[in-house]
Amino acid sequence: MCGIAGLIAKERSNLGDDLVNMLKELVHRGRDATGVALYEQRDDIQARITLTDPSFENDLHQIIQNFGQISNAKIYPGVGIFTFFEGSIAMDSNQISQLHWDIDSHPNLCVHSLGQHLKVYKDQGSAEDLVAVHQIDVGDCTHGIGHVRLATESVENINFAHPFVSYIYPGLSLVHNGQFTNYFNMRRKMESLGIRFKTANDTEMAAHFIAYEMKEKGKDLESALHTALDTFDGIFTIMVATDNQIGAFRDRLAFKPVVIYEQDNGMVLFGSEQISLTPIISDVYATEMEPGGVKIWSV
Amino acid sequence: MVRLDISGMPTLEVNHKLRELVQQDNEIIVENPHSVHNFATALKGKAKITVEGSTGFYTGGFLQGPTVIIKGNTGLYTGDNMDGGEIIVEMNTGSNCAPSMAGGTMLIKGHSGSRTGWGMKGGNLIVCGNVGMWSGKMTLGGRIIILGEVGMGIGESMYGGIIHVLDPKADEKLGGNVALKPIADKEKKEVETLFKKFAIEQSVDSFRSIMPKVYGRHEYVMFKPTHKKRAEV
Repeated sequence: MCGIAGLIAKERSNLGDDLVNMLKELVHRGRDATGVALYEQRDDIQARITLTDPSFENDLHQIIQNFGQISNAKIYPGVGIFTFFEGSIAMDSNQISQLHWDIDSHPNLCVHSLGQHLKVYKDQGSAEDLVAVHQIDVGDCTHGIGHVRLATESVENINFAHPFVSYIYPGLSLVHNGQFTNYFNMRRKMESLGIRFKTANDTEMAAHFIAYEMKEKGKDLESALHTALDTFDGIFTIMVATDNQIGAFRDRLAFKPVVIYEQDNGMVLFGSEQISLTPIISDVYATEMEPGGVKIWSV
Repeated sequence: MVRLDISGMPTLEVNHKLRELVQQDNEIIVENPHSVHNFATALKGKAKITVEGSTGFYTGGFLQGPTVIIKGNTGLYTGDNMDGGEIIVEMNTGSNCAPSMAGGTMLIKGHSGSRTGWGMKGGNLIVCGNVGMWSGKMTLGGRIIILGEVGMGIGESMYGGIIHVLDPKADEKLGGNVALKPIADKEKKEVETLFKKFAIEQSVDSFRSIMPKVYGRHEYVMFKPTHKKRAEV
């Protein structure tokens, strides 16, 4: 059991807080880790990276300096054993994928987010633990997705927590409720195509798969999600966000829940349970997504 | 009449307290429920319990006699394995309402989610609003009445029982192994009696009934896989 939540709301000023409040209502669906992916209206490239130990800061600076200059860097301890790095990088936006992979190639570093709009905050514990340690420092956001994790398929490590990003398509983030039963087969096939994996979490495969379909095969989000629905095996209710879209899709037996409420002013709320919508809007009739469905919302 | 404030009370204590009160009093009003889970489970007796607010998952599970009225919403699995008594929800409920319900009556005045009344074995379930997909799935007995729209796959793989629907598009959304027929006169009378009891103003003439095509054991068909090629990675 995991919980997912999402929000498209251009007019709300504190989207980060809203999303965290939605996840607080889902705490009973998992408290191993909590994460949010937020899309800001900014243009500089920002990074959020974990270090297993603060002593690896020099290694990180060396990798980044091959690509550009770091500014506004800060380094602080997380809820658990990990240390977090956050900062802006003045660099060529075409090289984000390369830098992303260069950092992930270091065994002690892991990218949580790296890109022009996306920022991912994830750490162990509940949503309350997340905001107690991390200052969710975002400007005006347009949309975001979030996840509370109850680890079943891989280790309890915050680099294995959702939302997942992919170095192949910067700006893509993904949250997943469920399990893939064809993870190892898929991973083997994808590795033979040259796709590299950072973690042993099955959801990372989904993020790389959709990113690969979009980047290398030139598909739009909707057709990439249709291919994913055809290819993935197991139980899944997935939400994918890009810089200007949110997409959701669900397996044909609809084991894992997701309810959606769309308001006339363009606000869209997603949640595993109705109660997760109540911090934003209460007593509305949210509809459940149909089994085997794929749906896209433009921001 | 007794008023019970359950704010901050653990679920176990709430249910122990209700069990005591049901023996002593016939009317209980519960305040500040704050969406408590497992509310009023396995209660016996004849009392009337009114909840001024919303309750959470498994409300009224294994209920065996009392009438439970919830003024707000309820969560998933309301009336799970209910044996008798009544549950009246004034607003909406979550998915999977009245699963394996064996007796009693449940009335939902708002909407309900998917898989409403799945595996029902007896009793009556009335939904005044809409229901989601796969409602009445694998029903074994009992009666489901839906006044609003129905979702896809209504009555999928029913073994027994009956579903009455008003939705004019119900024939497009039927599940497997079920047939849609006009309502019979005997059924009309039974539904009318229920509507009169709960003061539901709705003519029964335009209802249609969904029943299994084959009762009891299904005919088995050997599964033949269709070798549809998956999309290349």
